[in-house]
Amino acid sequence: MRSGNYKESVAELIALSDSKLVWGWSALLFAALAMVPYVLNSYLLSFVILFLITGTGALGLHLLTGCTGLISLGHVGFLLLGAYAYAVPVAKFGLSPWLGLAAAGFVPALFAIVVGVPSLRLRGLYLAITTLAFSFIIAHLVLSLTWLTNGARGIRVLRPELLGIDFDSDARFANLCLVVATLTLFAVLNLLRSRVGRAFIAVRDNDIAARTMGINLSAYKLHAFMISAFVSGIAGALFGIYLSFVSIDGFPFLMSIEALAILIVGGLGSTLGAVVGTVFIVLLPEVGRLFLGALGPLAEKLFTTGAHEMRTVLYGLVIILFLRFEPRGLVGLWRDVKRLWVNWPLRY
Amino acid sequence: MYLKLIAAIVMGLGVTTAAKAEQGVSATEILIGEVEPLSGPPGLLGIAYAAGTKMAIAEANNAGGVDGKKLRLIVEDDGYVAARTIPAVKKLIEVDKVFALTSLSGSQGVAALPVVVKAGIPVMASIAPIEPLYQPVNKNVFVVGQSYEEGSYQLVRFLAKQNPGRKWAALTQDDDYGVALRAGFDKARKEGKLNVVFEGEYKKAQQDFSSEMLRLRSSGAEVFLAGGIIAENAAMVKELEKLNYKPVTGIFWPGRIPATLKLMGPASEGVYGIDYVAADKSEAVVAFTERAKSLLSEADFKAINRYTLVGYASTRVLIEAMRRCAGNLTWTCTISELEKTKNFETGVMGPISFGPGVRFSSQQLHVMRADFRTLSFESVK
Repeated sequence: MRSGNYKESVAELIALSDSKLVWGWSALLFAALAMVPYVLNSYLLSFVILFLITGTGALGLHLLTGCTGLISLGHVGFLLLGAYAYAVPVAKFGLSPWLGLAAAGFVPALFAIVVGVPSLRLRGLYLAITTLAFSFIIAHLVLSLTWLTNGARGIRVLRPELLGIDFDSDARFANLCLVVATLTLFAVLNLLRSRVGRAFIAVRDNDIAARTMGINLSAYKLHAFMISAFVSGIAGALFGIYLSFVSIDGFPFLMSIEALAILIVGGLGSTLGAVVGTVFIVLLPEVGRLFLGALGPLAEKLFTTGAHEMRTVLYGLVIILFLRFEPRGLVGLWRDVKRLWVNWPLRY
Repeated sequence: MYLKLIAAIVMGLGVTTAAKAEQGVSATEILIGEVEPLSGPPGLLGIAYAAGTKMAIAEANNAGGVDGKKLRLIVEDDGYVAARTIPAVKKLIEVDKVFALTSLSGSQGVAALPVVVKAGIPVMASIAPIEPLYQPVNKNVFVVGQSYEEGSYQLVRFLAKQNPGRKWAALTQDDDYGVALRAGFDKARKEGKLNVVFEGEYKKAQQDFSSEMLRLRSSGAEVFLAGGIIAENAAMVKELEKLNYKPVTGIFWPGRIPATLKLMGPASEGVYGIDYVAADKSEAVVAFTERAKSLLSEADFKAINRYTLVGYASTRVLIEAMRRCAGNLTWTCTISELEKTKNFETGVMGPISFGPGVRFSSQQLHVMRADFRTLSFESVK
């Protein structure tokens, strides 16, 4: 592990990484993730797919809540909009999946203006409640516009064929999710080292100070809402394709809470944290099951027959423990480990 | 001589192929899996359904199993969340390698349909007999039950006949269940030219019905179609009781369980229900409950309700098809034998039948009336 971190230019300072080793490891991880779908059974593969889709959605919320400091409880509303924006043109009107994917991004982004404008003067809890109300309005709209959305009956969605590749198999679909997740990750990392990204962070840290520096709060808050909604909408479309059925039931309110849990557990404001938090939250129930399985069949049965309750308990417990003992999240722990490695045997 | 030798080799190969074990079948046992909600409010239905499956399996095992092998059930909870139904189904097929599935959860099962259809595993998906599970037809997915639309239609027709010229009210849920009930209601309304004075839709999981019930009373409705499930129906009836208003009320089979009557309290007396499984105090159900005492655990026995009968009947059909495949227990044979099922009697509902291109056994419906004293529903002639 490197111990020096000396920068000589702005370009070096804002580079995604100046370490060839980090680039190497990242490329290796990408290659491994691209290959594992062809090795894993479909049960384990479903976790990889869920991780990639959830990660994309979490990155969307990360931009809004983690980077700009705008707390949203209506994330599921954008996911739902994205899923329907894909399903309606593709499954109902037989249009191209490309058009569906574009709509999955742009439709939620447009709706983000609707929720963003009234939210410009709101902060904290008030904003959270406004976004929560937004998700209920979206659900109600979907149910009411029966001629377009099939209402409560939902829309069946088939796996798409893009660039001549049929994504009918789970392995190929996992690769599609990997590409989308990777592109989103790069987009987010690049955005955060741009003027826009630095403005987001300034708004989060102190909006009065940001305004004093000439940052247009309204414009940047709207930007954050729209970009976040765009990314979340794409994740929603992928989730709808994965479920093969888009309906209100597939997008429960708990998804908004899970998304927030991912950011808190991973480390609020950190892109790496959003990724690590996703791995943690997606795998937590399975790790819990394995742990209880090791304790004996009775304990394992508790998880098998009460999985939903056990998962909810685990999510709650993990959030409480992290907020109390490690508010910096998993990323904070990782930084401590790095510091310990570099400085050992010295403490500082 | 050579011809005989070749014939023997070919036959030998044939025997080898036929004897090749299908997944989930070992020398001593056959694995069966099912996915359903076992936690949260829908757990009340899933636990009861699983008890029915266990009962059918216990009976089969006591009778020597299938092909001399004991059946073993693996149950997975999806909490009624579609995103969890898919991994649970995949786990059963890919990791546990079960031979067949006896439940695909409720309406969440639709999300898992592509997985089971692709795998080709025999599936009984009867916990919530919704249309997308059997229409369009999937070769390996079988459903026992009746459509909510038909149930609603039959109940409204019955109540209209019993209460001619009365004013009507209907309140349904804002999901696919509610849409189906509304479709049946509208059909009967059109046919019978019903005088509907109040109708509405409520949000799923709504708990307070004070406003709706007040409007219902103001409308002067005399017959009320309560389109909730458990807590919603109970809340509606309790609210009407508070308003000292008692229209003739009809509910549907998802809420036709003792827990609903308990929640409603004495106001449940005389509430009408409709179902395709036998009434609680019928000879068939009394005999079933008696048998269950020795075959189920105490916890499972306490969970018995109409869903137990559905799980039992549905699993019995599957086991019977597997028995007919003794010596050649494969997915192909089991699906083929399931398709040949004709008028199979389970004792707890009407005869079950499938056929070529028919994967839905449409069961006969019966109207029932609640008896709060015994927390049960009795058949109405």
